[in-house]
Amino acid sequence: MFEVHCPYCNEKRPEIEFAYAGEAHIVRETKADELTDQEWAEFLFYRDNKRGDHHERWWHQHGCNMFFNAVRNTLTDKFVMTYKMGVKRPTKTQIKAAKNGK
Amino acid sequence: MLFSQDINISEALQTNALSMTLMDEKTRYSLRIKPKDLAAFKKASGLKLPAKIGQSIRTSAHSYLCLGPDEWIVITANENRNNLREIFVNMTAKFTYSYVDVSHRNIGFVLSGEQVENAINIGCPLDLSLDTFPIGKVTRTVFENAPIMVLRTGTTEFQLECWRSFAPYICGLFDRFAMDL
Ligand SMILES: [Zn+2]
Repeated sequence: MFEVHCPYCNEKRPEIEFAYAGEAHIVRETKADELTDQEWAEFLFYRDNKRGDHHERWWHQHGCNMFFNAVRNTLTDKFVMTYKMGVKRPTKTQIKAAKNGK
Repeated sequence: MLFSQDINISEALQTNALSMTLMDEKTRYSLRIKPKDLAAFKKASGLKLPAKIGQSIRTSAHSYLCLGPDEWIVITANENRNNLREIFVNMTAKFTYSYVDVSHRNIGFVLSGEQVENAINIGCPLDLSLDTFPIGKVTRTVFENAPIMVLRTGTTEFQLECWRSFAPYICGLFDRFAMDL
């Protein structure tokens, strides 16, 4: 088991308290009724499925009950960083800094 | 409104190393308040809601537990129920918030003894040492397959709450741990 840093609790907590909640930073469509089927499908289902540093949502289900975002490396399963909802997608420089131990 | 809590705790859980007792029936309210309203809400209601996740405040009347950035549980004796509800009703005129009576959803236990940290750790991977989990700290977490809430009330004493249908399962696991002591 590994530990995940929850940005709301501000501490590391056991993995089993968390649930994965899909790719992060997907902007909700505001004009869904004007989209073609293809565009709607892309919004709902098409994901990057990245190999490497992936921006994704996590849910501290058995804790503070908050959703937050994380950068996790899908190759090594290592969490690079976690951040609160509403915070901008971290840049490559910020990710690099986080990997070098903040 | 008294409820039969109908839980049997085995004799193995009545030792100095580990003792488990069922708490009396309590009144419990779940509150969701916008963080920006918290200061004004506390002033208007007189309730001592802690601002930080994981903090708790116990007064002679109530226990106030902060579980999330906008979520609290207030636990009190049944005789205080009407008073507390009146405060909550009055607050609806001033604030957009929610209060929900969850008294019968939860059941509470007091766990104590020198083995108490080890006992909780059989099903819960949190670090319960006094440095990281001091007296007064509270959190939701999991115990084996059951969601629970733990509150440290003393050096070797915890209050553990679960949804009532999980209670026999949790008691059974503690019982097995106690048999190995
Ligand atoms: Zn959390």
